[in-house]
This record gives sequence, C-alpha cells and structure tokens, in this order.
Amino acid sequence: MIIRVFRWRPEAPAARFDEFPVEAGEGTTVLDALVGIRETRAPDLAFRYACRVGMCGSCAMVVDGRERWTCRTRLRPLARQGATVTIRPLYHFPLVRDLVVDLQPFVERMKAAGAAFVPGGEPPEATLPERPAIDAAIECIGCGACVSACTMVRWDPRFPGPAALNRAFTLLADGRDAGATGRWTTVFGEDGVFRCHGQAQCTAVCPMELSPADSILRLRRKATRSLFLRT
Amino acid sequence: MTRDVADQPAPVLHRDWRSRDAWRGTRLGLWAWLLQRAAAVALVLAIVLHLRNPFLRPIQAIVLGLVLLHGLLGLRAILLDFGLPVRLHQALFIAALLLGVALYALAWWWRWY
Repeated sequence: MIIRVFRWRPEAPAARFDEFPVEAGEGTTVLDALVGIRETRAPDLAFRYACRVGMCGSCAMVVDGRERWTCRTRLRPLARQGATVTIRPLYHFPLVRDLVVDLQPFVERMKAAGAAFVPGGEPPEATLPERPAIDAAIECIGCGACVSACTMVRWDPRFPGPAALNRAFTLLADGRDAGATGRWTTVFGEDGVFRCHGQAQCTAVCPMELSPADSILRLRRKATRSLFLRT
Repeated sequence: MTRDVADQPAPVLHRDWRSRDAWRGTRLGLWAWLLQRAAAVALVLAIVLHLRNPFLRPIQAIVLGLVLLHGLLGLRAILLDFGLPVRLHQALFIAALLLGVALYALAWWWRWY
C-alpha cells in the first residue's frame, strides 16, 4: 500500500504530498508506519507523538479525511478501503512543519471559555448531584481532533469550539465553581454555543468517545432556561 | 531568510471542499445540516413559483417534497435540542428521510391519484 504524507516547511512553503510504499502487518499502526518512513526514507519528516498508547493525544492527525490518533489507527482496515492512505496535519491550526501544528489557538479558545476551575466559598463535596453529567464530559485530553473536525471553527474565529465548550459545560454544571459569570459572556455570547450547527462532527471523531455536541446542547438548554428562570 | 520566514504568519489548513478527501471526512450530521439548509433555499424559490401558478402539479410536488425534507430535518434538530442524546442523531436523520419518503408517497397517492 501507499502512504501519502503532507509535507510543508516554513523555509520552502510550497506544500506537497510525498508517497511512500509501506508493508502493513496485522498490528501496524499509522504511527508505526510514519516512524518507519522517518527512520529509513525521510529523516526530515516531522510529526508529533509521545505516549504511543492512546493516552496523550499528541499524535492526532487527519488520516483519510478523518481526525484520528495515529497510534490507535491500524493501517490494514484503511488499506482495505483504498490502496492509498492520505495523512495530513489537523485542520484549523497553524502549520509548524509537515504534520506538526501549533496548538496555541486551542489553548487560547480554552482560556477564552474560562477553562480553569474557580474555587467558590463552599468546601468540595465527595459527590455532587451534577456528577453523572460532568463525568460524561470530563475526560478530554486536548488532542484537538474535535476542533479540526468542526466546520464552525472554520467560519467563525471567535467560536470557542467543541473542546472549550465541553470544558465550559463541565464547569458550569459544577456547583462548586465560582467562575460562571466570566464564562457566561463567551459561552452564551453571539459567537458562543448558538453558533454551533449541531453537525456532531466533533462527537463522531472524538477518540475519547466524549460527546461535545451533547455538552453544547446542554449549555443551550441552560441558556434557554435562564430566560425564564433564575438559575 | 530566517527573519523573512518568521515574519510570515504560519498557514492554516482548511478542508478543500472541492477535493474527494475532504468529503470522505463528512459524517451524516453534516449531510443533515446541508440538506436542511439547501431545502430551505430551494423552498423559497419553489414557493415563489407556486404562488405564480398554484395549479401546476410539478411545482406542487416539488413544494411538498421540500417542505417534508426541511420540516422533518427541523423536527430532528428540535428533538436533539430538547434532550434526545446526540448518539441518536444519525438514526434520526435516516428516520426523517424514510418518513419523508413515506409521507410523500402517501400524499401523492391521496391527493393526486
């Protein structure tokens, strides 16, 4: 099979695809193939990875049109769908080099949506009544796959994006958090949850199997309730 | 050279919708959204044509089809807004299309033949 790899470097900014024939074993992952290519044929190929076991999320890329963790994506099933597998960097992030992108905009969107817990006056409780809803959304590790898959991020640079809104939901649902006032402005502002088109692309690609789309809909219901009730 | 490069903002990749690769990443949720919006635009045109001559059956047939498509996909969005889990959104999309076809066939049979 053939792997087509996106190549770009700042000092020679014309993007191109390089093709590499690879032999895929039963358990060969996309990341294994990239490591092999770099070791034997393209020593200057840049890509990012760390844990290699699906815990850190740093190897997120667009493989055959879909955001995936390359360390958890096997080549053989992809090869069955087509002889060529195309690997690109995540969309909507500034390119650093080849398959590496700058995740700073992800951090900025998180900050804008008030991603940090603000301690309130009440002491923490062992179990909160909101805990089941929060649990379903709290395991985000910030790989950026959902932001890359979101079409609204493309069209509205002020839209916080699925990961930041998902995080905002976990904090707004947490009765101990005291940062709701500042968070409210971004989350429920003109460029906030109501800009989401509900396509659920974020949920479809989330490797952690979270559902940012559900979190966004919960935020919308919260905003709607606030029109009628003091919440 | 280095300074020149550093002064340039790094490019940002977006999906090129003219490429086959971009559409491979398109899931049913996006199709549902696109179809509903396209039906809305087409509906505006069809209604204008319908008002100009409300007795033309082909135009009636088009208006009925577009109303069903747009309305049922809107119903799907409302159900999700009101708390149906997002994991059901694909099933709801398919159900809306099937229901639309069934209602269309029923209306066709009942109204015209």
